[in-house]
Amino acid sequence: MTKYAMVIDLHRCTGCGACAITCKIENNVPRGFRWADYIHETKGEFPNVTYTYIPTLCNHCDHAPCVEVCPTDPKAMYKTEHGLTLHDSKECIGCRQCEDACPYGVVYFNSEKAHEFWRDGKAQEVVNKISKENDVIPPYYNPNRARTYAGIRPPDIVEKCTFCDHLIIEGKLPYCVEQCPSGARYFGDKEDENDLVNQMLKEYMSKRLKEYKGTEPNVYYIRDYNKNA
Amino acid sequence: SNRIGEVDDYVEGQWIPTGCSGCTSWCSKEANVVNGRVIKVRGNKNSKVNGEVSCPRAHLSLQQLYDPDRIKQPMKRTNPDKGRDVDPDFVPISWDEAMEEIADKILELREQDENHKIAVQRGRYTQLRDIIYSHVPAILGTPNNISHSSICAEAEKFGPYYTEGYWNYRDFDVLNSEYIILWGADPIASNRQISYYLGVWPDVLDKAKVAVIEPRLSASATKAHEWLPVKPAEDGALAVAMAHVILTQGLWNKEFVGDFHDGENRFIPGKTVDEETFEENYTHGLVKWWNLELKDRTPEWAEARSGVPRSQIIRVATEFAEKAPKALVWMGGGPVMQVRGGYTSMAISALNGLVGSVDSEGGTLRGAGVPRKSYPAPDEYMDENAQEKINYQKIDQRGYLEFPALKEGKPGSGVVTNRMADGILKEDPYDIKMIMAYWNNFAFSAPEARRWEEALKKVDFIVHMVTHESEMTRYADIVLPSTHHMFEQWGFLNQKGNKHTHLWLARPMIERFFDVKDPEAEVQWLLAEKLAEKGFDKLLEHFKNFKDPETEKEPTNEIEFAEYATKLTLQPIWDPNEYESGDQFDGWEDFKAVGVWNSDEYKYKQYWDNFGTKTDKYEFYSETLKDALEKHAANHNLTVDEVLEACKYEAEGEVAFIPHYDPPFVHGQKEEYPFMFVDFKNRLNREGRSANCYWYHEFNDINPGLEKEKDVALLNPKDADEYGIKTDDKIIIKSPVGEIECYAKLWEGIPPGVVAKAYGQGHWAYGRVASENFDRGIPRGGNNNEILVADYERLSGSTAFYSHTRVRVEKS
Repeated sequence: MTKYAMVIDLHRCTGCGACAITCKIENNVPRGFRWADYIHETKGEFPNVTYTYIPTLCNHCDHAPCVEVCPTDPKAMYKTEHGLTLHDSKECIGCRQCEDACPYGVVYFNSEKAHEFWRDGKAQEVVNKISKENDVIPPYYNPNRARTYAGIRPPDIVEKCTFCDHLIIEGKLPYCVEQCPSGARYFGDKEDENDLVNQMLKEYMSKRLKEYKGTEPNVYYIRDYNKNA
Repeated sequence: SNRIGEVDDYVEGQWIPTGCSGCTSWCSKEANVVNGRVIKVRGNKNSKVNGEVSCPRAHLSLQQLYDPDRIKQPMKRTNPDKGRDVDPDFVPISWDEAMEEIADKILELREQDENHKIAVQRGRYTQLRDIIYSHVPAILGTPNNISHSSICAEAEKFGPYYTEGYWNYRDFDVLNSEYIILWGADPIASNRQISYYLGVWPDVLDKAKVAVIEPRLSASATKAHEWLPVKPAEDGALAVAMAHVILTQGLWNKEFVGDFHDGENRFIPGKTVDEETFEENYTHGLVKWWNLELKDRTPEWAEARSGVPRSQIIRVATEFAEKAPKALVWMGGGPVMQVRGGYTSMAISALNGLVGSVDSEGGTLRGAGVPRKSYPAPDEYMDENAQEKINYQKIDQRGYLEFPALKEGKPGSGVVTNRMADGILKEDPYDIKMIMAYWNNFAFSAPEARRWEEALKKVDFIVHMVTHESEMTRYADIVLPSTHHMFEQWGFLNQKGNKHTHLWLARPMIERFFDVKDPEAEVQWLLAEKLAEKGFDKLLEHFKNFKDPETEKEPTNEIEFAEYATKLTLQPIWDPNEYESGDQFDGWEDFKAVGVWNSDEYKYKQYWDNFGTKTDKYEFYSETLKDALEKHAANHNLTVDEVLEACKYEAEGEVAFIPHYDPPFVHGQKEEYPFMFVDFKNRLNREGRSANCYWYHEFNDINPGLEKEKDVALLNPKDADEYGIKTDDKIIIKSPVGEIECYAKLWEGIPPGVVAKAYGQGHWAYGRVASENFDRGIPRGGNNNEILVADYERLSGSTAFYSHTRVRVEKS
């Protein structure tokens, strides 16, 4: 059975942040949240300094602590048969236990109505002019996100990366994969020998974040951002 | 379990070709339009330069387009007082009222025989610019069309021109190169062809060794094999020392440069060489260069100046030259947009000459030309007055003794953008009474920006055509809201990369939700109509010649004019009957659908037999520069030595004609201003125009060293300790000309003795996100241009941006 995974080639990563920005666009992610994020680190003393950069996102863990702790029935945070960790915004009660349980800090809680910036009088003037429905907040709102998730997540619940499940079902790639300018991301079925993800994991040594937590993440990293680091 | 159930159909929308002018990469784009809204952008796969690849900052264009702070309609100033703290009291007016005011002012100045006191200013542009920038000033009769070019790069063009006769940016054959030196260039973060280089850089790193020469740990340095953190402004020392190493070790490229007759290397440190013993092939003056400059420029000498260890200089120069000719130096603005950067520009460029990688596989390349048709000439619509006045001295003082601006070998032919403020202030050569400016913001983007505020105060009547109210707009009398170049107007630009030149076409693709117009063509048509209505019909009669090449129809309104002008000049691209080269199309609609034209692939060694220099050779001893300097000296009845002195150079005699080390010229004494200030460019800059997009601030930390949501200056922790400064402290940076406030960030990627800060923030009038308090004019962060001294690399006219200003730092 298909088992989705992502491989990020840190050698190919140029640390440009396009993944994080385009994720916002595809998923209508509000200001301050980063479903796609990054960790950077500077080590050493001038002039012997190295800088490393690791793009991050929800790891869609096999043993997802966020799912384990979700108290609702059915669970708002759940695993699909293909290994995605998804969030059902209708079931979510906003208890934030998943946010606390996630070792990677990639679950975000909406304490207020999202996209406040686009709701004041001045912004509303733009919104009203570009759409008769008055519902395009932000003005570059992507309607496709709403196919499988709340298009914009309402207040008092959490939200997170879905590996762009609304694109996967269309046979498309997650948007961060498609838009990475440096071709550093691969997405596919890790069980399928013909899949590039499967082949990459065979060809290269890989690592995952905080493996000691036993979460069995499905985001793998190969090679180094800089060999000298 | 699948809980999602039935899902709505995927909305594909339309992908409409366009291009991006957020920086000078000028990448092809497609915009995704869904129900009349733009929701995404991506690279246009039809481009052989960037293909589908898109850099991160292009995506910020969505927040620019829909920015609630965009100007919604034309406005007129009602408060005659002008100043930073003065509210212009803008009131909305119609386009017709705006044109009425502008036409009246133009006709009044023509009446008073003062039409040469009208200036047109251009910042960023599409190539529809010819109309506003060339044709309009010509017919109105003013010499004063002033571009932004020399606050962009001219010193970068100086070195290549005075060695190999090429006044332009270049292409780099990175995929075939085996050693790449990025000298003050940061191709995965800023200028040029960032999208293309982001795409291929991992492959480049697999094949080539990459060394980065840059005072701070740049984005490209974080991934490089070698980092040479040169002391600011000492790049010239490093360049001539590397040339010294290459020659003493016998590693120059023999095919390109030639050799000693008997094959014995006589380049021995400290010893002159007999010119007769060496025979050059495609170059001129190697031995002169050695004798006049290089023989004493040892790595030890360079280590003392540049701070780069002797061993590293030797290693990098040697490994670089061993890969010759598949080894290239990519020079950026940092090392050369300095007061004495002109000769550094030549010295760095000349390394490519030594290894024979100029115009060669794995080396530096030129771009292909683009087939274009000229617009109908304005000449017969220029009256006697206009014919005379377009030859008047320009307000930027180009050609003055201390501003040779030797573009392409011609004294006084380059622009000295930032000097225009002084020209206006000192009324030298005369006063300026009217400015029509578009897509620029010199009161923010030019060093010593406050001079511009004073200069603008002095001008009676300013028309500013922009998408956003900005620092310069605050001094405007009429504000004309502009279209966004990617989504709302016609336009096109060409750029080179990946051994091709591409040209992309932008077109109006969504309904304009504010009452905005394109300044390059539409506004000019409206102005021409208004002038004709008032009795001056020359501009309109001229514009009527811009006919649709398919139907021969004259334009009847501003929209048709913009489209016909685009179609007309691009006819050799889309019309199969006028085909010249590169991609072929079946007609206008076919080209529109594809959206981008590509040149044929670049052919190596096109120029080896004729570089277009004085000698036709690649010049290590620049006869071309000698000729240009002698012409300029003759214009002023002086000697070349006197010209160089006026231009703040120390070189005398023949050294003036060769790449050489001229010690840095820096403003501010070390005792009072202990730090060198290093300006660099934020990865998300759309040239200072993205600061009102909140993503710009939210993702500021994708720049190595920088922090999200904060404008920070980078200091080495050792320096900071000494001054008791900690990360997140608010600090004031003071230079001899101004001060700014921002936050401190301690970072090991910065050398001791340096304060580095990204350009882009510190707007006090760009919008609610860009400012701390927009209504009260309080900036968010600090604008580097308020502390940078207005000075110049005078031989090229380039503004100095880098390593020429000392600062001190205080806790605020």
